[in-house]
Amino acid sequence: MNMKWYISRRVLWAVFATFIILTFTFGLLLISPNPEASAAAFSAATEGGDPEEARERVAEIRGEDRPWHEQYVDFMVSMFTLDWGNSFTYHEPVVDTILRAYPYSVALVVPPTIAAIIAGFAIGVYSSTHQYSLGDFLGTSFAFFGLSLPNFWFAIMLMMVFSVYLGWLPVRYDTSVEFWSLEHIRYLILPWFVIWTGAIASEMRYARAETLEYVNAAWTKTARAKGLDETTLTYRHIFRPALIPLITIVIGDLVGIIFATALVVEVIFTVPGLGLISYQALVRQDTPLVLVTIMIPVFIAIIGNLLQDVAYTMLDPRISYEERDA
Amino acid sequence: MSLETDTPESTGIDDIDWEEIDANAVRLDPEIFYKYVSLVLLCLLWAYDYIYRDPRLSLLDVDIPLGFTTFNLELNPGNVDYLMGLTLLAMFWWVAVPLARSPEMTKQYWREFRRNKAAVASLVFLAVILVVGLIGPLIIGRPSSDFGAMHEAPVFLGGTWEYPLGTNSRGEGIFKIVIAGMRVSMQVGLIATLIVIVLASIVGTTAAFSGGWVDEVLMRFVDLLMTFPTFFLILFLVYIYGGDLFMLIVILGITGWGGVCRLVRSEALQRTEEEYIEAAEAAGATMRYIVRRHLIPNVSNTVITAATLAIPFLILTEAVLAFLGFGDPDVWSWGRIIAEGRDDLGTAWWVATIPGIFLFATVLAFNFLGDALRDAIDPRHQIR
Repeated sequence: MNMKWYISRRVLWAVFATFIILTFTFGLLLISPNPEASAAAFSAATEGGDPEEARERVAEIRGEDRPWHEQYVDFMVSMFTLDWGNSFTYHEPVVDTILRAYPYSVALVVPPTIAAIIAGFAIGVYSSTHQYSLGDFLGTSFAFFGLSLPNFWFAIMLMMVFSVYLGWLPVRYDTSVEFWSLEHIRYLILPWFVIWTGAIASEMRYARAETLEYVNAAWTKTARAKGLDETTLTYRHIFRPALIPLITIVIGDLVGIIFATALVVEVIFTVPGLGLISYQALVRQDTPLVLVTIMIPVFIAIIGNLLQDVAYTMLDPRISYEERDA
Repeated sequence: MSLETDTPESTGIDDIDWEEIDANAVRLDPEIFYKYVSLVLLCLLWAYDYIYRDPRLSLLDVDIPLGFTTFNLELNPGNVDYLMGLTLLAMFWWVAVPLARSPEMTKQYWREFRRNKAAVASLVFLAVILVVGLIGPLIIGRPSSDFGAMHEAPVFLGGTWEYPLGTNSRGEGIFKIVIAGMRVSMQVGLIATLIVIVLASIVGTTAAFSGGWVDEVLMRFVDLLMTFPTFFLILFLVYIYGGDLFMLIVILGITGWGGVCRLVRSEALQRTEEEYIEAAEAAGATMRYIVRRHLIPNVSNTVITAATLAIPFLILTEAVLAFLGFGDPDVWSWGRIIAEGRDDLGTAWWVATIPGIFLFATVLAFNFLGDALRDAIDPRHQIR
């Protein structure tokens, strides 16, 4: 199998996966009681109305009284054409709500992610090249604690110390603050720190494990024997071969962690990004918005996985195009 | 001597009647008998409770005289408690009994494990959390509100021994809430892990042994499941099906088995290549015998290690969901009390802080334990 064939297969698989996930989502929504219709039925019952009638009315408004295959075609077409319907709570197309929210999420997620990748790789490589030293011990312990730390609790503890008791930082996010300003950083610094600690621990562990393989590799020994200085050695002979698998892990693994952390952090610090929108949609049972805000991380994960595989094949000459090995 | 080896009556020395061995294994082994008896008893109890008893009435309500006082024992197990019973049975039969049956191996594992002091401490800590979480609520009861004792400080800050860890905004004791939370975290961590192990083992071994398109379809499904960011899948399912504890545990179990399944499949494929299995095959052992006698014992260490390392994620996810308010409103989870304490940060910092320390310590302990188990029992990760 050649590379082109492999990549086109990979793209087809991504499309197929998207298709399956959407079908599965549709199936779930179809067979399960609609939370929103149940809420309508409940309020009708408490107000002395007919719960069944209220349920049917909601279904009719949403077009759920039609045969399922029509609904399915409609659902798939609207999903692929980005016609995601209207939000019940914001009374506007879901796309508009998303477009308004995403800059906040980007501002929240991107800086700490980049910082975590750089710092995590640096500490991980230091750890593996100084195995069993005090620095290695401290680094691995830090990673261990970081992995076990409940993010949401850590966020609240930081908020308690720095905002409530010391009063150095604001407690709630303020949307009236200028987006591109130093003042904005004061609001973002705690959320950034929580996301950074959430991401750095796994980066460090992966970086340490991956580079450890090359610390005693034959070519490293050869390079050292011919007198290469340690910095160049670490960078060119230990870090570089480990970089490709590390990129893979960053894309594949980090997307899930970062998005999940971001949702919780946005809720705690009331940053009006996608996570907070998603949370409020879940609480207010705004199904179209719930669907889209949950599908966004899913599609980013699918595209991320695809890009990761393609990058892997192009960057790494050692890769075999066999689909799977034991 | 005549060469009559192909007649059915042959009783050559290398002739083993595998069917008889299989039959004997089932008939004679008292362990298997007791295993099934305990399982059936639990199911019967559940069926009796479910069909004949009013769910509001207790299954058991007795006064136990203790000499100076009487202790009222009231049991009203729900579905989650029965699943927990099943999980404890599984731990007993799959972990405790095999260890007790081969003391030599147990001693060797223990020697390896003991070297890691943090892991030994973690094991003790988790055992305490499990026992206190299971028995504690029966003794001290559920937290009840007391509006005369709102925001009371913990005892080390000048509070009273009535509320050792202080109270929240409704005067409910943090101590009792923390103990109720131990139970929930342990139930979530252990039951969901049992579901993960069972599903992963069934799908993984089926894929490995069937091969061909069955393997391809099953593993593609696992790929798909692993692509899905688990947290959002869980969030979506909780949105649709509601977050009562039983449902939540089931959701966590059925979304989380992908990674362990891949591991089981690759282990099973590797092990079947090994010589002892080839030897058993050559001697004519049935598939059933090979799987039971050679495959499961050799794969189980890897699976148990992977499962232990999956527990922290399960416990943290439940806590996050409870924190966000999507958890079970009838159950005191650590995540839920942390969410409540968020509004009292200025007046009563202990409400959010103390349960969080327990959550952090429990997750840390499971991580330490999993790491040490990997070093001690997992053949794939021998320490140098």
